[in-house]
Amino acid sequence: MATVKEKGAVAEARVDLVVNGESHTVSVQPQWTLQHVLAEKLGLMGTKEFCGEGACGACTVIMDGRPVLSCMMLAIECGGKTIETVEGIARSGHPLIDAYVKYSCMQCGFCTPGFVVTAKALLDRNPDPTVEEIKEAMVGNLCRCGTYPAHIKAIREAAAVLRGGGGRE
Amino acid sequence: MSDDRTQKVDQRQRMLEAFDNKAADLHPLETYEVIGRRDVPRNDGLEKATGAAKYTLDVQLPGMLYGRFLTSPYPHAKILSMDTTEAERLPGVRCVLRYDDPELPEGASLGGHELNSVPALPRVAYFEGEECGAFVAADSEEIAEQALKAIKVEWEQRPFLLDVEKALEPDAPLTMPEEYPESNVHTVYLEGHGDVEQGFAEADKVIEFKWTFGLNTWVGPERPCGVWRWNGDFAEIWTKQQRPHIVKRAVSTWFGGIPMSKIDIHILYQGASFGGWSQMAWNLGGTYCAAVAARRTGRPVKWLFSRREDFYGGNMDAGVFYVKVGFKLDGTITAVSERGVTLNQDMPVFGIVAHLMENTKIPHIHGRTEAAWVNKGHTVPTRCEMNINCYTVNLVFNRVAAELGMDPIEVSLSNDGAEGHDTDWLDAKKAELGFQVRDSLRECVEKGKAAIGWDEKWHAPGAKRLPDGKMHGLGFTWTHEWDDSAGSSEIGMYFERNDGSVTILGCRCDCGVNAETTYCQIAADELGVPLESVRFKHMDDAGFFPMTPDTSTNLAVNGWAVRNAARILKQKLLETAVARRCVTQLTPGYPPAFPDKRPDELDVKDGVIFEKADPVNRMTIGEFIGPSGAMGPITSPVGEPIYSGKEGLAFPLRGTPPMFDHGWQIQRGCYLGVRLRFCRQAHFMEVEVDPETGAIDVKKIVTVNDVGKVINWDGCEGQAYGGAIMGLGRGMTEEVVYDPRTGVMLNGNLLNYKIPTMMDYGDIETIMVETAMGYGPYGTVGIGEDVATVLPALIGPAVHNAIGVWIDGFPMTPDRVLQALGKA
Repeated sequence: MATVKEKGAVAEARVDLVVNGESHTVSVQPQWTLQHVLAEKLGLMGTKEFCGEGACGACTVIMDGRPVLSCMMLAIECGGKTIETVEGIARSGHPLIDAYVKYSCMQCGFCTPGFVVTAKALLDRNPDPTVEEIKEAMVGNLCRCGTYPAHIKAIREAAAVLRGGGGRE
Repeated sequence: MSDDRTQKVDQRQRMLEAFDNKAADLHPLETYEVIGRRDVPRNDGLEKATGAAKYTLDVQLPGMLYGRFLTSPYPHAKILSMDTTEAERLPGVRCVLRYDDPELPEGASLGGHELNSVPALPRVAYFEGEECGAFVAADSEEIAEQALKAIKVEWEQRPFLLDVEKALEPDAPLTMPEEYPESNVHTVYLEGHGDVEQGFAEADKVIEFKWTFGLNTWVGPERPCGVWRWNGDFAEIWTKQQRPHIVKRAVSTWFGGIPMSKIDIHILYQGASFGGWSQMAWNLGGTYCAAVAARRTGRPVKWLFSRREDFYGGNMDAGVFYVKVGFKLDGTITAVSERGVTLNQDMPVFGIVAHLMENTKIPHIHGRTEAAWVNKGHTVPTRCEMNINCYTVNLVFNRVAAELGMDPIEVSLSNDGAEGHDTDWLDAKKAELGFQVRDSLRECVEKGKAAIGWDEKWHAPGAKRLPDGKMHGLGFTWTHEWDDSAGSSEIGMYFERNDGSVTILGCRCDCGVNAETTYCQIAADELGVPLESVRFKHMDDAGFFPMTPDTSTNLAVNGWAVRNAARILKQKLLETAVARRCVTQLTPGYPPAFPDKRPDELDVKDGVIFEKADPVNRMTIGEFIGPSGAMGPITSPVGEPIYSGKEGLAFPLRGTPPMFDHGWQIQRGCYLGVRLRFCRQAHFMEVEVDPETGAIDVKKIVTVNDVGKVINWDGCEGQAYGGAIMGLGRGMTEEVVYDPRTGVMLNGNLLNYKIPTMMDYGDIETIMVETAMGYGPYGTVGIGEDVATVLPALIGPAVHNAIGVWIDGFPMTPDRVLQALGKA
């Protein structure tokens, strides 16, 4: 990819990231978002761009344990960070995946990975969320198909599996 | 108009004569294994949950360029001159196309459904944000964006109009003068039956009211986009498109004509699709420019719209409507007349009183749609064109009930019927056509009333204040199903070598409604194979085009195609199983797998062919089909027969006869009034309205749909609760706002255009009624558009029941509530 040569533009920089447990060194342009680098450079296309301005949650990843919107973060500022994407959550055998399939939480599916990541971050910090807590945690994830009711069932079931030690991990 | 009506009556008569529900299904299944089962997992569930599902936006090809359009900063303007020198010099810019390029003929139509021609790169923009003038292909999207900013344009700004009623005024400036030099009104559509003046004269009471609906848009999570790659003279195309066959048809007319056989289309998963874009040449402009740029650069080109550009398309239903209703004191409606002025409606043929005509015994009905252009984005059918009709039904019955102090459900039930006739007439038609005679509306109403607690909770408008000061309201509306069964459908189906699993082929868009799983359920039960062994490969152009997810038509058309193909395939399988076949150079042929049997003595269950009278005589389909390899099913890799005497099958076994062999139910669309509607739907809503802030809190929604028969529960219920949530947004918060001073869209982003979140709805109960009175296979009707389309208007009567005041304007935002209460 060509570099945009603007007056005063900063050259590409090398950034070290740990993504889904693997180390990567990526050469990034200063204006690239983390979402762009994950999807376009590392091929982790489950991290989707929907609104492009922090309003929809489709690009959510877990960074150092917290859910963040990767379309709102410059990759150049993410050096040394540990990142978990939907692909990592799926590979770990997290019970959210089975629960999401069981309850048909997806229609078009474009926003689904962002929901899975946000839900995983919720369960990491709250192993037994109430319906209201789930709604509050997930309110930043938009679904145009209106799949919301299914997510609540799936997240509660995954939480129960995790508490019962029933996960595949 | 009289000719038109006569034609419709003739068509309906022909349909009534040709149609026989019992005759159409000569071999109904005795039992269902997976059809209608509750725990059927989605085909695409794991793929989508894990982020593995690929969308057109995800396509990356070696050397691929990124293309973006210049857009107009003005609502109505012409390009006088353009300097692209600086843009062309930018590093990474590989191709700049201009409106005056000889390969982009001005005035040429790209092949969409617009009434007017749409060139790939217009010189004149009719709304702010319209793609026009230039297309840049560059190494990255950001370089393309930067190049667009470097283009210098001299614009001629023209007068513009945003208010659709002002567009009708005699001295109004022309909004699309090149296309419509005489008037801003492009179509006047008339519909109706009886004589409304007579109906009003017979009425005890006559009311008149006005309602309005602002622009809303479906704003899909995946931006409009596509990719073009030339492979020699073969065109390979990826596009986010609801109707792949329209793209292929249009493309075949470009560049002096490309044979259909040289065009390959890939339709990956769609990041939502609710119609609209699929019919627009506007969208095809990206594909056209990408094709030209790809040829000039020798590289594949991905075209994209920005997030903001997406807000100008997918709009629906804006307009101003004037309604007059005459009725008797017992609630019998004698006449309805409605005049609507619709905004930028590309296809104003869906009517505004069509549901009253198809759905009630009201004897005198008249509708007049005046469709006019203003300088905003186009509106096209997006989930769904019946929206205006649903508003009309909703408001007419609820207004009449309120005027008489009656329960709106009673008023609705007493006017149920069809084509001006009562329910006795309709019941006779049900029997005539071979359906069971059931009262769909009453069944829907009774279930819904119980679920929402109607009898306990309903009260006079404005009569129930809650302890916290909020006003409690309950709303009801209803209509029929409007599954069009439109379009043709072809699919291919065959058994795979080695294991006998089943592949269904047909290029169609998956927009998330889980249709592919549903088709697999039908194929599994009809063939007698496990569901897990069936897959619908919908993404590639295999030469078959099933009907696309339009007009709630997925199932009612493609269901027949799948069922028909499955029955042909099963019949061929059984015929082959008893026949001597496979004469080759190596062998004189093989004895039948089931010697001395007839096909009707065999059956298939769980993927096993067996003799009905002696089930021990059996063979799996996989064993029968045999392995893949140089000699197909006949021999093993070393040339020896593998299953002595039992292998082989004529190959390939796929294909389906033309639509009309199995698509006896085809008709021209409900808006053309050709067929009678038996299945109904009824919806209920409970709200609390804060009279101080105008906020509406939706506490509970009950949706009741008579879908004829449920095949896939997740699919049906997903459309019901998903539609309810989308409908709430459209009815309460969503409106595309333009600045009246500049004509510029003000909220083309997801921060300022409010779609519902997980916090914005109350309990949703989805109820399905199964009367089997639909025209689809197994008596089904579609549900995809229903709830999202009916629900927005239901907010009106629910809020009226709460505050005792009618609000004319939708979406029903807090400011409109406060205005109605005299507080703003």
